[in-house]
Amino acid sequence: MSDDRRNTTHFGYEEVAVEEKATKVASVFHSVASHYDVMNDLMSFGIHRIWKKFTIEMSGVRKGHKVLDIAGGTGDLTMAFSRLVGDEGEVVLADINESMLNVGRDKLLDRGFGGNIRFVQANAESLPFPDNHFDCITIAFGLRNVTDKDKALADMARILKPGGRLLVLEFSKPTTALMSKAYDLYSFSALPLMGKLIAGDSESYRYLAESIRMHPDQETLKQMMSDAGLDHVEYHNMTGGVVALHRGVKL
Amino acid sequence: MDKQLLAMLVCPLCHAKLDYDREAQELLCRFDGLAYPVRDGIPVMLEEEARQLSADEKLEKSS
Repeated sequence: MSDDRRNTTHFGYEEVAVEEKATKVASVFHSVASHYDVMNDLMSFGIHRIWKKFTIEMSGVRKGHKVLDIAGGTGDLTMAFSRLVGDEGEVVLADINESMLNVGRDKLLDRGFGGNIRFVQANAESLPFPDNHFDCITIAFGLRNVTDKDKALADMARILKPGGRLLVLEFSKPTTALMSKAYDLYSFSALPLMGKLIAGDSESYRYLAESIRMHPDQETLKQMMSDAGLDHVEYHNMTGGVVALHRGVKL
Repeated sequence: MDKQLLAMLVCPLCHAKLDYDREAQELLCRFDGLAYPVRDGIPVMLEEEARQLSADEKLEKSS
């Protein structure tokens, strides 16, 4: 009881008890799951497809690989990996949120995917996979919502094979003052309004804008990945640093 | 539930292999005394969603 600050974390700009964060994040994603894909296209003007495409190119995933897509949600990366790894490979789509997982599974089955894809509901902080198992792990727009990011990164490093790669695609810090201004204006005014008009939920999209600002910047995340035991950690800014792709290798 | 997935999954807490109870649709970790539910074919590997095993269940040998 000597230090209250140890027991709180941020939920957007709000200070909440550590135990509360997962529940609050869960309610955001239960709320947005059914509109998730259309909102992604609208909010990013479709650019999220380019960010994801670059992630896939940087993944080095090939035939026969085992890939884990954490916070895989509605399955955009999983679909691409499923094609790349082929019948001998395997893609696991994991998400902590049941609604997102159901939307993802329905979408993938509708599009004829299935054979090499598995679905698991799991928490990124304690992953239900053995040590040294995956050739590649991705977490796209998910790490921001994890309560204990250091613990999650360490557990991802644990289940990577030696030589395996972790790719973190996430919102980051714009690299120029002008970009930063424009981005602030857009995300704090336009985003909640779009959320209200299309998804009937401005609060969840306000959380999105706030959680992006609270997320560690490029250099901080790079250091966190090194501390988690990953080597050769590097990052690539995209769209003026609005988004960054971090990549690390387990040696 | 998918065989390959079953072979891959371990307890998220202790990383031990799990026993599958097909009838109850549960994955059991006897070390931690937890039964993880399989809902609609999707294993729910979350501690807060798991059922506590009884003393008898913990001792039962896997078949």
